[in-house]
Order: sequence, then structure tokens, then C-alpha cells
Amino acid sequence: MIDVALASLIEDMIEKAGADGVVEFWQRVGDNLASRMGKEAYLGWTSFNVAVREARTAFSIEGEVTPLTDMAITDVDGDVVGYLYAMRQCCYVPTIFRTRFAVGRMSPADQAVTDEYNENVHNIAVCNFCVFHERFREEIAKNISVAGNSLACFLLATRGWSGETKISSKNVAQVNINEDHMRALLRNYECVYALVMRGARIKGER
Amino acid sequence: MAFESRIPESNPFVEIATHLFLEDIATKVGIAGLNNYLVSLAKNLAASMPKEEYASWSEFLSALSTGQSILSTFEEVRPITEHCMSTFRSPFERGWREYAKRVGAFAPVHREVARYYNHKVRPTAVTSMHVVLHTFREAAAARVHVGHDGVRYEPVASAWVDGEVQLPEGPNLESLLKRAGISRTKLGMLMRNHSDVWLIEPA
Repeated sequence: MIDVALASLIEDMIEKAGADGVVEFWQRVGDNLASRMGKEAYLGWTSFNVAVREARTAFSIEGEVTPLTDMAITDVDGDVVGYLYAMRQCCYVPTIFRTRFAVGRMSPADQAVTDEYNENVHNIAVCNFCVFHERFREEIAKNISVAGNSLACFLLATRGWSGETKISSKNVAQVNINEDHMRALLRNYECVYALVMRGARIKGER
Repeated sequence: MAFESRIPESNPFVEIATHLFLEDIATKVGIAGLNNYLVSLAKNLAASMPKEEYASWSEFLSALSTGQSILSTFEEVRPITEHCMSTFRSPFERGWREYAKRVGAFAPVHREVARYYNHKVRPTAVTSMHVVLHTFREAAAARVHVGHDGVRYEPVASAWVDGEVQLPEGPNLESLLKRAGISRTKLGMLMRNHSDVWLIEPA
């Protein structure tokens, strides 16, 4: 029930600190959670992707994550420096349905925080939880190393519970993935992100 | 109707994030401030849910045990007597287990705020989540009418996921048990495998 009550907490926070204050607050919570999760190291992408599949990595706290091993990201030398990862269901969707059954409708505070983030930070959020979520992933990626290289996370595309989709042109260009591929993935997944080795010179990076 | 089929389970990650959210609030407003936040959010949640009316106490009990009432929206409620209710599992159990597994030990602030609540309000909380739960049930009960009467809630005993039990002592407990229609021994039996025992009666 605390997940359903969260909306009223956010309403209260908006009154006190504004929607921009809630965005900052959520981001700080993302930093704090990531800092408490510790470091991880993997010999290579194969062992990391097996760990993701078996829900052993810090990313697994979010729920079931699928490594899209057919969608590798390569560097200028043709070496694999990253992959795409996707979640079939957004973490927040069960809460939205629980709110529907318990309360009747989602609080407007959810949309207020989403809009604030999309307008002033990164136009990728489909619910207030994306604000926390994106920062959390970026931070835990820094604490994970694959073949001795720490990772960077790029949130690429999201689909909200009502069907609205968002694709980050900036991040899609960064990892050299075609937006059409993203649209195809969004038919099956609600959240798609890339993990790449920090500092890699990605092939075709725009 | 099965309880599980009516409302989907939350993703525990959202609960973990909310716990961290509360921990961050506590660093700014202190234990008393966090207590106020928890009470306020539980009251707001109950206030945002529809009111209920029942023709008879038996109709209300039936709604409670089939998950149709505001008081059984987030947890499975099993009536022990006409006025004594029990819940099998804490609605926060999955979130706490995931927190313990992925993040580590529960932050001390969750127990500190419960101690504050026990001192200031009533001695029935083990963690911050009981502050939410008791306040929510109390505010939710006040939104129910059975016949011409309102409904009043009072907690009897709470157990946390780790087995720690909190309950009032002495005459307060005896009075609660009498109104609930159960003995001290029966309460002990219930607390072995239930998370909460509570009382509802006409106001």
C-alpha cells in the first residue's frame, strides 16, 4: 500500500517544494539507493548477461530485465562494447493499476512531476517514477565493471501504461541505434536502455 | 472472489524507492517530522478512497473477508470473532524482503519513528510501516458506516516480518482483548502466524 500512498506524498512535496523540487528529491533518492548497492565486476559481457538473466545484478532490483543479445553495440574497431536491455513491464505499472482499483484515479501530481522532468531535464519520462529510475540506473552502471571497464547507462525508450511512447533522440544517437528499432522494441517492451563501456568510441556515434 | 485476483501485486522496487524517499525526508525533518509525514500520507490515502455503507455487521464482515472493503484493499483480512480481525501477511513484507536482499539492513530510522509513535500515539508499531498501517486503518474505518453507526479501529498487536511483536501491556491489553472477544492465549496463537490482530467495533 505504500506504493499507492506515494502519490499523496508527492502531492504534499509539490506543495512544499514545487514539481522541480520533487524532481531533485527523486534524483537524490536514486543516488542514495545506488550508493547503497555496492560494486560488481564481471569477466566479460557473457557473464554479465547471464547474471542479468538470473537476476543477480543491481539492475535486477527493478524486476525482470531481458538482455537483448541480438542487439550489440560495437566500437569503431568492431568490438562489442555494450548491449540493449529491456523490461516487459514498467516497474510503476502495477502501482498505477493498484491505484485505479484502490483510489479510482491517478493523482495529477504524477503528471506534474513527469511534465517538469520532460521539459527541463530529459524528455523520456512517462510517469513520475522514471525520474528516480533513470538516475538510479545511471549511478549503478558506474559501480559495475565488465572486463575492467565501468559502464554507462542510456535510457532509450519508454512506453507508459496508456500507450504513450517516448524515444530519446539524444541517447539513441549516442549509441547509434536506429529509432525504428526502438519503435519495434516498444511493441514488446515498456522500457529499453543501453549499457555500454564508459569511454568507448562507438561506431557511427552521432 | 480470490483476494489475489482483484488487485495486482506491486513491484517491490517501487516500495524500496518509497522507503528511501522516507529515509531522505527523515534526514531533513527528523523523527517527529517523519512521523507526521507518515500519518499524513496514510490519512490522505484513506481520504482519497470511496466511503462505504453496509446494512448489517455481517454484510460488512463478508465484504472484509472477500477483499471488497476499503479495510481489505491492501491485505487479506480474516475475522476471528465479530470484532477481532487478523491479517496473515504484512502488505510490506515483499518490499522489506527485497530491501533486505538487494540493499541491506533496514535503515534504523524506520524503527526509531516506530518508537516515537509508540510513545506519542499508541504502543503498537515495530517499524515505520506500522505507523502507516494503523493510521490508514483508523482513517479508513472512519469512512465506513454499518447501519446508522460509524466504525472504530484499534490495533491489538503487530508483528514485523522478522518476528518482533509489539503490543500494549497491562490493563490496556486486557480491555482490548475483552472487546475483541479473545483470550491472551488465543492472541499468542494468532501472533505465531499472523502479522496483525486488530479490533473493529461500532463507533
